[in-house]
Amino acid sequence: MNQRSISFRLVAWYAGLLTGIFLLLCASLYLDLRHFLVNDLRESQARRAREIANTLLVHVKQTGEAYVATQTEDWYDPEINDRFIRVTRADGTLIYISGAPKDGSFSPAEVPALPSSSQTEFSRKIALAGGKTLLVAALNFKSLGNPTYRVEFGTLLDPVETMLNHLFLQLTLGLPLAIIIITAGGYLLVHRALQPVEQITRAAERITQHNSSERLPVARTGDELERLSISLNRMIARLDDAFQNSRRFVADASHELRTPLTILRGELESLAEDARLGSEWRDRAAILLEEAVRLSKIVEQLFALSRLDAGEAQTDWSRFDLAELARTTAEQMNLLAEDKNISITCDARQSLSVEGDRVRLKQVVVNLLDNAIKYTPGKGTIHLRVKAVNGHAVLEVEDNGVGIPPKALPHVFERFYRVDPTRAGDADGAGLGLSIVKSICTAHGAEVEAISVPSTGSCFRVKLPLVKG
Amino acid sequence: MRILLAEDEKKVADIIERGLKAERFAVDVCHNGRAGHEMAEAYNYDLVILDLMLPEMSGTEILEKIRRKNQQVPILILTARDGMDDKVKNFEAGADDYLTKPFAFAELLVRIKALLRRGPVNRSSTLRVGDLEIDRLSQVVKRAGKKIELTAKEYALLEYLATQPGRVFSRTMIIEHVWDQSFQGLTNIVDVYVRHLRAKVDDPWPVKLLRTVRGVGYSLSDEGVA
Repeated sequence: MNQRSISFRLVAWYAGLLTGIFLLLCASLYLDLRHFLVNDLRESQARRAREIANTLLVHVKQTGEAYVATQTEDWYDPEINDRFIRVTRADGTLIYISGAPKDGSFSPAEVPALPSSSQTEFSRKIALAGGKTLLVAALNFKSLGNPTYRVEFGTLLDPVETMLNHLFLQLTLGLPLAIIIITAGGYLLVHRALQPVEQITRAAERITQHNSSERLPVARTGDELERLSISLNRMIARLDDAFQNSRRFVADASHELRTPLTILRGELESLAEDARLGSEWRDRAAILLEEAVRLSKIVEQLFALSRLDAGEAQTDWSRFDLAELARTTAEQMNLLAEDKNISITCDARQSLSVEGDRVRLKQVVVNLLDNAIKYTPGKGTIHLRVKAVNGHAVLEVEDNGVGIPPKALPHVFERFYRVDPTRAGDADGAGLGLSIVKSICTAHGAEVEAISVPSTGSCFRVKLPLVKG
Repeated sequence: MRILLAEDEKKVADIIERGLKAERFAVDVCHNGRAGHEMAEAYNYDLVILDLMLPEMSGTEILEKIRRKNQQVPILILTARDGMDDKVKNFEAGADDYLTKPFAFAELLVRIKALLRRGPVNRSSTLRVGDLEIDRLSQVVKRAGKKIELTAKEYALLEYLATQPGRVFSRTMIIEHVWDQSFQGLTNIVDVYVRHLRAKVDDPWPVKLLRTVRGVGYSLSDEGVA
């Protein structure tokens, strides 16, 4: 899961907060309850110890110690109530000790004497054999007849402990379960609420300048997301307008330039051929004519680009072998390369069936080879390769020429872009060859990329969907 | 030979008119569609050149009207649009050829002559330019009786230039005929091939047949410069 996603952060934050609050609440509940129960028990034992002291030991001189013992047995029934009562004289003489409780949970005789204390009232927890704990409240009481007695009244802490353990177990099991439920529920809820965002994102990814007439889905929920998708759609509409305007501009401009160019070329052509003019004037007219021709070529290429952008490439769609196309093109371009002492090797043995406009795709190969020839110095080598890679037909044109600097690499397919502006005077190109390659590829659903190491060479790779059969 | 030219851009019309008259054609010019149609109805022209975007009646309409009467007159379309759809639509409507502006006048002329069955319909099996001889059946090229070895592309280029000796062929025309549309814009390939061809056909002889016309293209003629 993406840890930076809104749903993750939202759920993590509130689940963490709830866990913290729950932990605090449970801990305080457990500790408070424990404190309260133990104290309550201690209080009641101390009260009973005081009762024995007040009601029986005050007059022990008159009643006798044996009477105290029997009365204590009668009133408190320690065996039935699982209690421990021991009355001793200060010198340690035992006056009364309760019998073993009925369930035999402990043996009173084994309860060790509490250490002597200067306090009148105090209590101790005594660990018994078998892991049981006895809570004993002790009271040092001075009777009217002067002997000092100690009354010990105790009961097992175990029921309280059991209850607390039970509570602890419930809390430790219940808490993680509650947190899991809260987290899962929260995640589902947030995920559902953010689902439209996912859809909007995916739809927005698909929109490029070639399908800018598409719009994002609008969830009619009346919430912020609906508003977001509507305003995004408005933004796409404005971009769409801008794309169309620029496309129309290129189409209109190249169209409007045609007529004046025709006139210019026509007049210059007749001047350049006019025998009545001196050769110097005819030469000058010819220079102007050459420039007019170059201008016409740029206009034609711009127009071709705008037509490709408008999706007019699909008029001559057919199925053909890309490898065969590469081989013939390489052969046809060979002389152009040889002229610069460059050799073209073509590795395209496996026939690969692709679909598209054959003339246009051939233009891709022609332009890429022409580009490679232009930017490879004499005695270089150009490799043209066609192969199948993961269901795609891949065509590569690799040269060992001057290469492209990394900062220029992302721009090589842009219109009129030149890696080296000082080469703008290059007689043939207008910086449109690679833009045309890119546009043709896009119109064919193909990808084209450039990889390059300066002064080592460049590689242009076209990836076309392969057709089965 | 009488040609009707319907073109609303007066300057373009003027250039074409002058050029055609220099080639000894009779030319009637009109600047709007309706006049163009009326003139085409009134006289039996040998060829009609139509601009597509004419005021009052478009070139396509005139084309359809002429063809509805089943007139077999060759029709050449001039246009500033070169969308494939337009091209297909006009060919279907009965256009014989299609030329996109801006064009070289030389190219227009070659096409006109082709339509008038004067030019490239040189179907004879042997083409001769000066002492150069091209046998189209065996594809053997000889100059002054000496055989010259050419590659297939060199031969195609030479044969194309030889179909109309003295006529200037633009690089674009050569590309379209000898190569194909994919090489559009790659005119330097023509220069390279012409250079190779020259080395074989012209260099060993004092009279040069292959002529470069700056800004326009190449031609093959025996009035060549020594």
